[in-house]
Amino acid sequence: MERKTINKRKRVFSLQPNKNPKAVFARRYASHLVPALNKINMNKPTSKKDHKSFEQTVKHEVGMALALSAQEFAWGRFLQHKLLSPTHEDPSYSSKILERSDYKQEGEEEEAEIKKRLKELQKLLPGGEEMNMDEMLSEIGSYIVCLELQMIVLKSLVQDNSS
Amino acid sequence: MDLYIPEKLKWLQQQQMVSPEFLQILGSGGREELKRVESYLGNTNDELQSFRHFPEFGPDYNVIDGCISRTSSFQMEPVKNDEVNRAISFQNKRKPEGKTEKREKKKIKTEAETETSMKGKSNMSNTETSSEIQKPDYIHVRARRGEATDRHSLAERARREKISKKMKCLQDIVPGCTKVTGKAGMLDEIINYVQSLQQQVEFLSMKLSVLNPELEFHINELSTKQAYFADLPEAVSKQSVMADLQSFPLHQQGSLDYSVINSSQTTSLGIKDQTSASWETHSQSLYNSLRTDSVSNFFSLK
Repeated sequence: MERKTINKRKRVFSLQPNKNPKAVFARRYASHLVPALNKINMNKPTSKKDHKSFEQTVKHEVGMALALSAQEFAWGRFLQHKLLSPTHEDPSYSSKILERSDYKQEGEEEEAEIKKRLKELQKLLPGGEEMNMDEMLSEIGSYIVCLELQMIVLKSLVQDNSS
Repeated sequence: MDLYIPEKLKWLQQQQMVSPEFLQILGSGGREELKRVESYLGNTNDELQSFRHFPEFGPDYNVIDGCISRTSSFQMEPVKNDEVNRAISFQNKRKPEGKTEKREKKKIKTEAETETSMKGKSNMSNTETSSEIQKPDYIHVRARRGEATDRHSLAERARREKISKKMKCLQDIVPGCTKVTGKAGMLDEIINYVQSLQQQVEFLSMKLSVLNPELEFHINELSTKQAYFADLPEAVSKQSVMADLQSFPLHQQGSLDYSVINSSQTTSLGIKDQTSASWETHSQSLYNSLRTDSVSNFFSLK
C-alpha cells in the first residue's frame, strides 16, 4: 500500500522517458562499447594477433564503457581514472583484517565480523577504499545495478554476434 | 525534499505531540532547519540524499504514537522520528539559552536518539523502556534504560542507523537477501553477488574477445529488444525498482545522450555506413522500446 503511493508519486519522475535511469545507462554503455569494439576490430588486422593482449584490450574497453556510462557515481569516475592511468596492479591483495584478540565480547565479535565484511566490500568497489562507510554503501547499490545492466548488454552482444 | 516537509508537518500535527506554535516556527523556518538537519546527518551528496530520503516517503505514519512497542517491526518510523527530533533540537538551539537549557536539550536529544535505536532485531536485548513526557512542546519520546547517553555513543548510534537503512535498500537490490538475517550474513550475500557479477562480466568480455576478430560488431535491433524485455523485468522484479530509481540521481539528462551517440559515430574510425546506420536506428528503437515497455514494467510492480 505504501509502495503504491510511492509508485504514484515517483511516477511523476519516471514517466519522462529520457530520465529512466536504467535505460539511460544501458544506452550509454552500449554506445560506448560498440564503437570501441569496432575500432579494435579495425586496428587489429594490422597488428599481430596476440590473444592475451587482445583480451586485455577488450577488458579495458569494457571497463571504460562502464566508467564512462556511470559518471554520476564516484565509483565510475574512480574507475575511469584507474583505467586511464596505467598503474601496475598489485595482484596479491594482502587483506589486513584486524582481528581482535581473545578478550572480545559477543557484541564486539559481531562488530568485528561486520567490519571485516565491509572491508571486503570496499575492495570490490572501485574507489571503495577511499570512501567512508556510508558513502560506500550507497555507491555499492548503484554499482550492482550498473553491473547487472552491463551484463545484459554484453550478453546481447555476444548472442547477436555468435551465430 | 520539498515534497516531504509538509508531509512531516502534517504528521507532527496528527500525532498531536507538538504544540501549534512550534509547528509555526518549524513551518516558517522549516526548510532551512531540515536542511541543517540534512547537513548534520552528513548528506551533502545528492545521491546520498535521495538514497536516504526514500524510505521516509509515504503518508503511512499511522503506526506512530508515543508508545512504539518494542516488538514493532515497522522499522522506518524511528528514523523519521529521529530526524524530526533533531530538527527540534536544532530549532531549540536557536533560542537564547542558558547552560541548564542546553543540558536539558541534550537530554531530550538523547532520549530521542535512544528511542530511535529501537529495531526489530532480536539480538538487541535491552531492558524494558519507560516512556517519558518532557515538556509539552517537545516530541514525546521514549527513553531506554541502561543505555549510554554520552555524545560518542549517540554519534555511534546515528551512524549505525544510517548504515542499517542503507543495508535495507541493498537488500532490495541484491537477490536472495531477504532470507538472510543480520548484517554479517547480508554483507556476505552482497559480497558474493558482486563477485559473481564481476566474474560474469570478465567471462563475457573474454567471450567477446574471442568473437571479436571474426565479426563486425553491430547490435541487432530485434534481439537486443528481446534481451531488454527478457532480462530487465528479471533484474527489476525483485521489488528493487524504487531503490534503483533512488540510487540514481534523478537529474540525468537523456537528451545529452544523443549527442554522445552522434559524436561517437563521427569520431570512430572507419565505421562503415551500414553499421552507423544500424546503430542509429538501433538507438532509436531502443529508446522507444525502453520508453514504452520496460517503464511500464516498472509500474506493474507492487
